[in-house]
Amino acid sequence: MRFQLAALSLRRHASRTLLAVLGVAVSAAMLLDMVMLATGMRQSFASLLGRNGFTIRVSPRGTLPFDTEATIAQAGDATAAIARISGVTAVAPVLGTTIHVLGARAPVTAFALGVDPAVQGDYQLLSGRDPAANELVASDALLRATGARVGDTLDVAVGFDPQLRTYTGRRRVAISGRARFTYLSADDRAAALQLATVQAMGGADRADRASLFMVRTAPNVDPEAARVAIERALPRVTALSTAGAVAEAERRLSYFRQLAFILGAVSLIVGFLLVTTIVTVSVNERIGEIAIMRAIGVSRIHVVQQIVIEGIGLSLTGAAAGLVLGVFTAQWLNSILRGFPGLPDAIDFFLFQPNSAFRALALLVASGVAAGIYPAWRAASLPISATLREEAVG
Amino acid sequence: MTAALTARVASAQRIDSIPPWKAEVRTIAVDERLAADAGLRVGDLVVLAAEPGNASGDTVRISAILQRRADPSEVARSEYRIRTHLGQLQELIGYGDRVDRYAIQTTGGVAADSALRRINALSFGFHAYPSREIAVETSKTFLVVSRFHRAIGMITIVASATFLLCIMLLKVDERRRDVAAMRLMGISRATVVRTVMLESSFVALLGSLFGVALGFAVSAFVNAHYQAVYRTPLRFAIITAGTVTYSVLLSLVLGIGAGALAARRLSRTPPLTLFGR
Amino acid sequence: MSGQPLLSVRDAHRDYPHSGEPVHAVRGVSLQVTEGEYVAIVGPSGCGKSTLLNLLGAIDRPTTGSVTIGGTAVSALPDKAATHFRLTNIGFVFQRFYLLPVLTAQENIELPMAEAKVALAERHERARELLGYVGLAARADHRPAELSGGEQQRVAIARALANRPIVLLADEPTGELDARTGGEVIALFDRLNREGMTIVVVTHDEKLAGAARRVIHMLDGRIVRDEPLLRRA
Ligand SMILES: Nc1ncnc2c1ncn2[C@@H]1O[C@H](COP(=O)(O)OP(=O)(O)O)[C@@H](O)[C@H]1O
Ligand SMILES: [Mg+2]
Repeated sequence: MRFQLAALSLRRHASRTLLAVLGVAVSAAMLLDMVMLATGMRQSFASLLGRNGFTIRVSPRGTLPFDTEATIAQAGDATAAIARISGVTAVAPVLGTTIHVLGARAPVTAFALGVDPAVQGDYQLLSGRDPAANELVASDALLRATGARVGDTLDVAVGFDPQLRTYTGRRRVAISGRARFTYLSADDRAAALQLATVQAMGGADRADRASLFMVRTAPNVDPEAARVAIERALPRVTALSTAGAVAEAERRLSYFRQLAFILGAVSLIVGFLLVTTIVTVSVNERIGEIAIMRAIGVSRIHVVQQIVIEGIGLSLTGAAAGLVLGVFTAQWLNSILRGFPGLPDAIDFFLFQPNSAFRALALLVASGVAAGIYPAWRAASLPISATLREEAVG
Repeated sequence: MTAALTARVASAQRIDSIPPWKAEVRTIAVDERLAADAGLRVGDLVVLAAEPGNASGDTVRISAILQRRADPSEVARSEYRIRTHLGQLQELIGYGDRVDRYAIQTTGGVAADSALRRINALSFGFHAYPSREIAVETSKTFLVVSRFHRAIGMITIVASATFLLCIMLLKVDERRRDVAAMRLMGISRATVVRTVMLESSFVALLGSLFGVALGFAVSAFVNAHYQAVYRTPLRFAIITAGTVTYSVLLSLVLGIGAGALAARRLSRTPPLTLFGR
Repeated sequence: MSGQPLLSVRDAHRDYPHSGEPVHAVRGVSLQVTEGEYVAIVGPSGCGKSTLLNLLGAIDRPTTGSVTIGGTAVSALPDKAATHFRLTNIGFVFQRFYLLPVLTAQENIELPMAEAKVALAERHERARELLGYVGLAARADHRPAELSGGEQQRVAIARALANRPIVLLADEPTGELDARTGGEVIALFDRLNREGMTIVVVTHDEKLAGAARRVIHMLDGRIVRDEPLLRRA
């Protein structure tokens, strides 16, 4: 009967209940979105970095991977040195550069990665095969820009000398496959070649150099230990673990986390206020009825329960609606933030994680419960005869 | 026409005196962040090197400390900035007689377009872009962020609108008895509606004034906080006359609208049923 | 009168704290009611009748003195026990009916039974039985707003009887009713008493007072006259 009474009281003011549920739903959706925003970036960035089991990135000292044009000298020796460190199972050297694809039309520039196709984590083949010497795999965007297809041969160069008006490191390279590049966005024109090919094209500047090493460690090894060992073995590099990289990314994007925290807190407060106000007002309106129930022998705890059930009903319905609304708005907001130029496809700003989502909504519902307890207890504790007297006079 | 070259100078080591074989050294400007973090002042001597631990550094004197530009694209970047003479940097990093880009000043308008066309037709190996295009390209990130803010703002508006509507409905409902008494006393329906609406407009106005004050306080806090975090003079939250007008008008319209809606509903109900809840 | 008294009030005082000096609503009332009695308490407005009835019904507690109902000293019970005592032993009927507006007639009658954890089927059956008893079988699904005052009061009486109380207390049960519907309530009380229910009513209504078998007159918080009427012995 408590449930029935609670439901009936909510129905008595249908428009008010509807508005309250709507309000709770919107704030629940906002709360959910902010929770998704707070965890989404970290999660998707961490899973992006952790792909293919690469747990450590090694870049020139003081830099982040591909943050600058700096390179690591004696790449061959460095590869061997890293591979010798215990716990390291694979080392993938990467040399990044800009290439120009020369053709009938204006030259097309693209980002080129020199890799070891046997151990690389930069691309996934969509068709064709890994590049042999003087071959490349290209992103769809590059194929579109050049109008070339797998099997065609491109005329590429790495630089331009304005004084001599000649291209440097120019050679003909065959397209061996199509690939999706893990750390680049779908619109990036990109190509992957053999490391040796890129080094050779770069001339003396690039001989035996790498921009980055990606290091895979054994699953039972603490990447942090390997990371420290690498920095000790190679004084001119910075080794960054996935956790460190995530922390760095979070620092740069701390704005979003703080925004998420503040707006999440505000939504929680708004939801709580809404339920509190509704419940308080509806309790105050029913002081007389509550006194009647008490007079005919309904226990104080049951009166409180009935009112708390109303609060739970409001916040639970609101939270359920908010869950649906939140997932949709998160998709919308995500699609907006996905517009950031150069964002890898795998990065999502909003990630639905049932655990944290339900924890956030549970917090909202709990605040709805809390909202009901005080006014209910106060109303149920009023002296019965005096309350009946006053309410009957009105 | 100005030429620019950007390069990474890996270290700037402070020393106490200029090398004895040099009469005077060239000067550089450093940004305030570097100056603050490394304790550098105008007149100090530093050695610049292209790579850490490189012996072939160049001793220079700091002649100026630059304020960071309020440039949004630099907000999240943590590296330091220095300005050197062009030739000095070319020498330092062994770049030869090369630059990254030229900035070209024209008399504007048609002159800019024709200069652009002629440069692109004549030169082989580089491309001229109008500044406008560059600005669009570099501000893409901020377009995304501001679109995101607008979306969040929309959600907030929906949330606060429902909240406001709800509160207004409750406030008017609380007045049931008064309204019933007024109606029984023979006060006309229009007067009742007007009285209730006057009250809700007053509440809405008071609330939005309070909200504006709160907004100013919060934005001052946000600016202070993020300026400290990112060490930039950039202003993160700006309250304009437009935003104030917009939000006050919105809350007034919502508040009065909700009041009117609820008041009409109340005044339509026969007075006696208002008493017997 | 013979046997153990069902209700017993001993030297009860009830003061209401008021700004300035306290209001002495009941000042030293002693009273005994035996099982099966039908008592009317009468007196001018403000003389403390309702206050006394609330003390009898364990809704209120005397400032000093004691109230014992069916052997239980209710004036000493803590709130929780007093509430349960009201639920299971006392039927209360109010001047203004005090039905819950969201519930139907039947649901209003079922409410105290649900609170007393009576099984659903039994609850339904007994509520319908009680509605039949008060002559409102056809109005089971009506809400209070759809019932006349007399009908509402009869539903309220049925609600008061739901948990088979040992005493029925009524505060001006005909005060809001016209002569005809008031008469229906009086007839119902009469029948209840003849069937063995102990009844105490507070009333202004001479007809109702006349139906009782004992009339207690109050003035200024005291009992000034207590007379058995043996007209219908
Ligand atoms: N809750 C209260 N607070 C203060 N005074 C009260 C309260 N209830 C009753 N009284 C006062 O106690 C006196 C008796 O009231 P009541 O028992 O209701 O009288 P009756 O029912 O005989 O009309 C009155 O003077 C009344 O004003
Ligand atoms: Mg009275």
